[in-house]
Amino acid sequence: MDPVDRDILDRIARFDPMPADLDERVLFTIALHDLDAEVAREVPSAYAGSGARAGGERARTITFDADSRSVMITVVERDDNLVRIDGWLAPGAALRVELRRPEPDPTLTVTADDTGRFVFDEVPHGLAQLLIHAGSGSGRVVTPSMVL
Amino acid sequence: MSDVRLGALLERARDGDRDSLRELVRELNPVLWRVARGQGLTAEDAADVVQTSWLELLQRLHDIRTPRAVTAWLITTTRREAWHRQQRGRRDVPDGAGVLETVADPGPPPDERLLTDERDQVLWRHFSQLSQRCRDLLGIVAQVARPDYTAIGEAFGMPHGSIGPTRGRCLTKLREMLLADPAWGA
Repeated sequence: MDPVDRDILDRIARFDPMPADLDERVLFTIALHDLDAEVAREVPSAYAGSGARAGGERARTITFDADSRSVMITVVERDDNLVRIDGWLAPGAALRVELRRPEPDPTLTVTADDTGRFVFDEVPHGLAQLLIHAGSGSGRVVTPSMVL
Repeated sequence: MSDVRLGALLERARDGDRDSLRELVRELNPVLWRVARGQGLTAEDAADVVQTSWLELLQRLHDIRTPRAVTAWLITTTRREAWHRQQRGRRDVPDGAGVLETVADPGPPPDERLLTDERDQVLWRHFSQLSQRCRDLLGIVAQVARPDYTAIGEAFGMPHGSIGPTRGRCLTKLREMLLADPAWGA
């Protein structure tokens, strides 16, 4: 490979560089110590653009699908620069739900009600990942990380 | 990026060595990014798909029989995840709406604002005329110093030993187009 080829390839590499934080996001996502959990995929929604308004608040909805369960969350912007996460598990069950955040931020834990509803309130912006603990007859479910 | 070294990293990662796992991510992320983008995903979707592929790898860390095949395994997984992602996205679009968004993507659209260099613009013009396979290959080769042709070839379903020569032909063709273009200069 001569300098001309090298120059061409260097320029191609700059066309569409990987996001600067992708390594960090991946490392955060896979940092769970015991990853024995089913991976849920984000369902792309044609309507889930950021900036949609729900009851006058800025909110966006994200749905994650796994074979055993779906998780839908609405991330609502609060006035104090924190967010509230209204979540719903389907099928509904009173399961423990964790919101993991990069260290040193502590993992937040709530328990859904019998219909699968759960809320995390006063959450700072930033990277986060959901882990839904196993109920009877199903395994744990983990989501990719998202930026709140 | 030799397959032996990456295989050794994978073996150490499954013994619980976090540093090896971190190194594996740093080595392979640019390739997986290129693969996901080559499938026509938006930057946001591509980033999600790359993450999901790593989560899948972690699930199956102990089932992978040939650690040296980790690159091929991840590329294949990323391609599959990217394809599913696109299918799901299409299904979600109501009839008649958003058709424009779902037309096959001709390639990785660079951020126009980044192409301030005139030669970059000339290069992009010619690069985008290459075949999809050439764009995929050169895009990956450009990202890594010593690409593992065997792994990339396997993952793209190309015959053993053909990927190096194909890469050479793609690069030669692009180079000829550039040298024939006065805007590129000598």
